Amino acid sequence: MDIDDILASVDQPDASTPQSTALDHQLLTRFWIAERGVSELLPWPAGLMDRTMERVRRQIESIEDLAASSSDPYSTATNSNSNNNPTLNLKLSILQTDLSRTQYLVRSLLRHRLSKLSKHSMHYLLLVSPGPSSSPQNNNDNDDDENDPHPQDSIPPLPPTSSNPDTAAPLSPQELAFLHAHQSLLAKHYASSFLSSFPPQLRRLDDNAGGTSMVQAPETKEVVFVRCLVDGVRVVVPAADAGEDDIYATAMRVGDVAVVRWEGVRDAWGGGRWRFYNTF
Amino acid sequence: MAFPLPRGITPPEISFLAEMEMVSILPRQRLEGLELLGGPIEPLLPPRRATLPLWLALLLKRQRRANILPPSWLHPESLSLILDIETQHGDSKGAFSPPPPLPNQPSAQEHYQKRPVAIPHYTPDGNRYFPSSPFLPQNVAVDQGPVGEAPRLPFHWLEVGTMLLEAASDDLVDPDQTRRLLKELREVRSSKMRSGVDVLDSAAVGGNVVSLTGVGAMEIGEGRGFISGVVDGLRRIGASKEQARREQMAGEMGSGGYGATQDDDDDDDMEF
Repeated sequence: MDIDDILASVDQPDASTPQSTALDHQLLTRFWIAERGVSELLPWPAGLMDRTMERVRRQIESIEDLAASSSDPYSTATNSNSNNNPTLNLKLSILQTDLSRTQYLVRSLLRHRLSKLSKHSMHYLLLVSPGPSSSPQNNNDNDDDENDPHPQDSIPPLPPTSSNPDTAAPLSPQELAFLHAHQSLLAKHYASSFLSSFPPQLRRLDDNAGGTSMVQAPETKEVVFVRCLVDGVRVVVPAADAGEDDIYATAMRVGDVAVVRWEGVRDAWGGGRWRFYNTF
Repeated sequence: MAFPLPRGITPPEISFLAEMEMVSILPRQRLEGLELLGGPIEPLLPPRRATLPLWLALLLKRQRRANILPPSWLHPESLSLILDIETQHGDSKGAFSPPPPLPNQPSAQEHYQKRPVAIPHYTPDGNRYFPSSPFLPQNVAVDQGPVGEAPRLPFHWLEVGTMLLEAASDDLVDPDQTRRLLKELREVRSSKMRSGVDVLDSAAVGGNVVSLTGVGAMEIGEGRGFISGVVDGLRRIGASKEQARREQMAGEMGSGGYGATQDDDDDDDMEF
């Protein structure tokens, strides 16, 4: 039982009420719009996705039950309740349409996350790897003296799978596994196709010699379209250096729709308060 | 490729969203309530109105099982009123007719009298949640709107209007007139979008916002590629200028004690 379930049981007496279904549907829709609109990966909404997938599974079961009952030999043979059948077909088609719409949302969301992951795979691997990648670096430096470094060495190890569910992980376990496998394959491919003919010191995929990092991060200064849902939230100009303070700029009124840089509003997402803005 | 579509929702996806708007229907046949993944559906009992998502209303309408009650804004009178507002302020740039207020947004008239209380829902994670479009009753037919309240275009006006005209034109008051007014509104507003391009310049600076309040979802969807392209291009061009501005801003924000460190920063930059 994770923290989401505990909170859910406190906040709502029954997490399986129709109201919570409707709310989760709205949350999923909003998360999908935001994920589609934002250039970087948003934190994985584990509780929401678990609940949604469980509901989809149950809905499929109930649709199958209904479909089985409609093709029941007794009812069709007697044809006594033929006035009931059209309603049943209508019900089935409504349920299936609704199911497909939800499945489309989930599929589009996951695929877009995968495309972001594969585009900036190294960035996200470094992000989720435990520790600031100093320990593997040192190991590699020792290896350099003995044998040639491989590009695969620059891939940080996976974090332990039994990680704390309380902390909001940016990736789901499946995405993490995909990310690692993807980057390993990519590194092997690069190594066999051209990196092996490079000088050994130029073979790392996370090379940052010359002050330029080879790891491409998503651009956080790209603009997004937001609607402000709470009064008086300010757009942030984040500090460029660690020494500076964040600058708080224009305040937006509730209901305002605006074009704004993603970095200016992403803090409102970070602290679990992301519902201040409706990003699209 | 894992996903071929560009960043930002595309027009077909905006239509998909608009189909989640709630509309009022007059059912022609009974149907028991259903538990959908998008929330529960109330039972349909023929003389009584019901409120359903647009996709379901259209499905029932196409099978002649229901009539759709058009939302109050999709009426020739309301539309021509809105068109008047749009064209009156046509010379002042970017003045779109105001959107319907959010539930927790005080409207201009009743600001001092009866401020509507924001009712935040709570998510299962314990966070506050404020519903927004398409999950607001902006397209539900109401018999008597608030007195003195001008009709307002909802966020998904173009999509909902087009879909209703296409599938349920016999339920609308004057479909031809409505279609003509929608087209005029669209032209007036898109020319405003085009003439408002100048303000995009200011969005290239960090912390600034370009207000698009009142612009519909599909209009944003059409302009999205252009707007984000222009702003991002200007940002790249003005990156160095922005850096200088940042330092100036930081200098102004910081008290006198920061003066010394600020000078150090400037010296560092001079070496580059």
